[in-house]
Amino acid sequence: MSDDFRNSSLNELDALVIGGGIAGLESALNLAHMGFHVMIVEKDLSIGGRMIHLSKVFPTLDCSACITTPKVSETARHPNIEILNHSEVKHISRDENGSYRAVIEQRPRYVIDSLCTGCQDCEEACPVVVKDEYQYNLVGRKAAYIPFSIASPRIAAIDLDNCILCGACEKACGPGAIDFTQETRITEITVNSIIVATGFKLFDPDRITRYGGGKLKNVVTAMQMERQLVPTRPFNTVLRPGDGKVPDKIAYVLCAGSRDATVGNPICSQICCMYSIKQAQLILGAVPMADVTIYFLHVRAFGKGFDEFYQQAKMMDVQFIKGKIGRIKELENGDLMLRYEDIASGQVKETQHDMVVLSVGILPNMGIEKLFGDEKFKLDPFNFYNQPNEMTDPFKSNLPGVFIAGTSTGPMDIPDSILSAGAAAAQAAKYMKQHQASISHQATTPL
Amino acid sequence: MIKEPNFTGKRIGVYICQCGSNISDYVDVEKVREEISRGKGVSLAKITMFACADSAQKEIVADIQNEPLDAIVVASCSPKLHLNTFRGVAERGGLNPYNYVQVNIREQDSWAHSDKPAQATLKAIHLIRAGIAKVSLSEPLTPMTIPAENSVAIVGAGVAGMRAAIELADLGVNVHLIEREHFVGGRVAQWGKMSMTNQTGEEIITELYHEVKKRESIRVYTGANIIASKGSIGNFNIQVKIQPRYVEPPCDPESFKKAIEACPVEVDDEFNFNLTKRKAIFFNYRSEFPAMPVVDMAACTRCEECLKYCHGIRLDQQYRIIEIHVGSIFLATGFNPYEPKKGEFGYQEHPNVITFQQLKRLLDLTKGEFRFRGKKIERVAFIYCVGSRQIDGENKYCARYCCTSAIHAAIQLRQELKVPFIYHINKGIRTYGKQEILYEQSSTSGDVYLQFVEDDPPVVEVLNNPIKVTVNDLLTAHMEVTVTTDLVVLITGMVPRVNTELISILKVPLGKDHFYNEIHPKLRPVETMIDGLVIAGCCQGPRNIAESASSALAAVSKVYSILNKGEIKLEPTLAIVNPAACEWCGKCLEACPFDAIERIETEKVPVARIIESNCKGCGMCTPVCPTEAIDIKGYTNPEVRSMIEAMSG
Repeated sequence: MSDDFRNSSLNELDALVIGGGIAGLESALNLAHMGFHVMIVEKDLSIGGRMIHLSKVFPTLDCSACITTPKVSETARHPNIEILNHSEVKHISRDENGSYRAVIEQRPRYVIDSLCTGCQDCEEACPVVVKDEYQYNLVGRKAAYIPFSIASPRIAAIDLDNCILCGACEKACGPGAIDFTQETRITEITVNSIIVATGFKLFDPDRITRYGGGKLKNVVTAMQMERQLVPTRPFNTVLRPGDGKVPDKIAYVLCAGSRDATVGNPICSQICCMYSIKQAQLILGAVPMADVTIYFLHVRAFGKGFDEFYQQAKMMDVQFIKGKIGRIKELENGDLMLRYEDIASGQVKETQHDMVVLSVGILPNMGIEKLFGDEKFKLDPFNFYNQPNEMTDPFKSNLPGVFIAGTSTGPMDIPDSILSAGAAAAQAAKYMKQHQASISHQATTPL
Repeated sequence: MIKEPNFTGKRIGVYICQCGSNISDYVDVEKVREEISRGKGVSLAKITMFACADSAQKEIVADIQNEPLDAIVVASCSPKLHLNTFRGVAERGGLNPYNYVQVNIREQDSWAHSDKPAQATLKAIHLIRAGIAKVSLSEPLTPMTIPAENSVAIVGAGVAGMRAAIELADLGVNVHLIEREHFVGGRVAQWGKMSMTNQTGEEIITELYHEVKKRESIRVYTGANIIASKGSIGNFNIQVKIQPRYVEPPCDPESFKKAIEACPVEVDDEFNFNLTKRKAIFFNYRSEFPAMPVVDMAACTRCEECLKYCHGIRLDQQYRIIEIHVGSIFLATGFNPYEPKKGEFGYQEHPNVITFQQLKRLLDLTKGEFRFRGKKIERVAFIYCVGSRQIDGENKYCARYCCTSAIHAAIQLRQELKVPFIYHINKGIRTYGKQEILYEQSSTSGDVYLQFVEDDPPVVEVLNNPIKVTVNDLLTAHMEVTVTTDLVVLITGMVPRVNTELISILKVPLGKDHFYNEIHPKLRPVETMIDGLVIAGCCQGPRNIAESASSALAAVSKVYSILNKGEIKLEPTLAIVNPAACEWCGKCLEACPFDAIERIETEKVPVARIIESNCKGCGMCTPVCPTEAIDIKGYTNPEVRSMIEAMSG
């Protein structure tokens, strides 16, 4: 953030990007490179979205943190970009010039940004342990905490919902950065264009009673497995959560919550086949003796290099069985019995595994449509944000100057999200140029 | 003479990255740190979890200022990923960015030697020592700035090219839109109804072409090919050869129509994939753009019948060559449908075995009942993955668009043309995302899906009518199912267009699949290894139309980011000639692949000179110079020698 920017009292910027995940970052960076001033509003404590939490990504097996962090730090440093973390847009209205006025609420982190050095002394002092949402509840964290090791900004926050107000962190903090008097801050900005990049929600498999409804100890979601495979993995190996045993017969259940009208999600989530195939390959690296079986309906390996990646998994002896898992039952020793129709033999079979990964899909992350007051920001039939002209103006929404990027438009993998963000930025840039031209034209045209 | 690196007196900071555990799982980073910190000139040696993380970058900046440091070395991943990240760190700390050296101990060490951690640790130490040696001798360098031409050459006027042209023009960039064919629209023009939105290709192309024509800053060239290109990012000089169309205005559409009727020559119409015939003077469909026919001189007999009806026809027209000057080149050259081999699933052995592209043209041309070669068609069998996901063939990739597109065509066959029996003989349906709805719709409306496994493809019998297709069907526990059908449609995938000349002129990098290759699918998805050359649409790999438009617009962002500043910063790591040592032998000129060396006369003798805007710093010239008169800034002979010594010492 440049000083000019910080000191500006006008709060007039060119564009607002809602969401600091990879699509939001990429949109903002593109606009910033084109010379526009952008604000990113991110509801989490750190930018980076889902991607910064992934292990290696398909099909190139790049370390995700290694390719996300350059974008994250470039965004954080860019003189044309301002970031509001821990913040949410509360209301958006349109003025007579066609510009948008956004009201943004920034929740306090109870830590003074400029003083915190990220030393983690508060974390050590804090006596409260709660589930760590950044590790998908696999391990705990403190109530005074740094969200995760590569968070941006890498500064502490106090989780006041769980804090017991013991004051231990305050005492431990050398620079005196803890400040319990911080309040919610309201910022109002005026922009000419908005890019909505609010990402997706993960399907909650607890809704599927056939798969234990969340009660089976050794059934995890794919995100929980992903966290066990990242470079900063909590256990340094793969463990099943029920008893901490290293699993040696792991099953992947694809389409858990996708392509399934019974759970209200008829569409394909587009990424689960590929991330499961990737995780299977990584598991074979982390636990070389393990057997991995993927139960699938169709393997959707459609992108550049994807089918080759699928073939590679087969060569590595990942087992692929065509059949939908009907039911998962827990055995006394914590192992799981999977019942399914084995399509290739036409028989109903049962197979025992010691750990099951549910390859959960993508759901829309709604909410932005409520911010525009009387103007209707449209959703598509699946509650993703609507693209009225998908073929030739792909990331334009139904509102002038409002664009959408990434998985807020529908299921998408990372390469496609990044392309969509570049595209949304180009469309927003063009809109802003034309919009500014029309405003200055009005201003200079005598009445 | 090699300078002893440890006596340059620079205070050097060394950072050893764990890369989470990507490096530290195999390299004993603590041992490396200990060894390195003993080296002369090393003021500090630290281990970081992720050197690229914002917090680590801040720490390095603080160290540079507080220690203070004169140079830094980061031992982490490939410089391809983070060279610029850490150059930025050096700069923010107040150092010249070229007083930074990145040492790759991940791709070239921890990942490569994960089975030998002790040796990997030793290798890391040697590699870092070499880095320290290099940075000890490094000189501050300043990037060169050159003006950039605010214009772009877009090659291919299909959906991706035209969409990009419109956006770039509106952003204030001058656009040269270069189309090889005599009509714009590419493959989409041939495509009829689209899945998901039911627009037709013709509608999309018409809309886009009207938008293109509205903009004065877009110049469209049809029948045009790039025949030469010189220069580099910011300043490409391109020669375009424009083939004659042998027709020019003014001449009214009625006269054109009569001229076409009068033409006695009939040839296969490639626009309709040879399903129909056309004349030697032709256009493909009524609203086609530019709205002027063209004479196919290869087929024309010069009978001059057409001249009687239309005065716009010029059979003596010659080709022209024009030169354009652009800052960036945008490739959107599209794909070709896979052409099945003779005999592949009965292709060209039975006339009723057709390709998917032919079916799409048929659907577009059919009014009323669905007939083929005079007979009503009631049974259609689709065979999927023809030319894609090949086990033995070259095309290992999935062509992405075909499952959805074929199923959409099947729905059209059933709903509009009332074809009652449709069989989908597939290899696993890939209607990803929202396209799943079409699969659901087709499979619940009576279409039959049969699935074969990779090494057991269906067998097509064409000796007797009707055609029989036999499948070992996975979905019924490998029951052998035989389908009798009136028409077999081979769902043919995408292959790259043949563009041998263009690829060699522009040095376009290709991937394993022979499509144009990006630098990195996530970090730099539309850029190529040639600076200023971007790619979009299906020339990069199979995509549907919406995805092509998306990639085209993403490439627009990139091009506009390059051109909007009016100038380009060039890497200063270029060749440099010491004229005192040069004895002009011309060997460097021969070795240079970028025309960056010229001979100049000096008072005494001729010597070599570097044309800096063309030089890429590739280093091809240095080893051939017999007198060591030529060197690369940032990779000088003394630097490289000191690295070798440090590594072997």
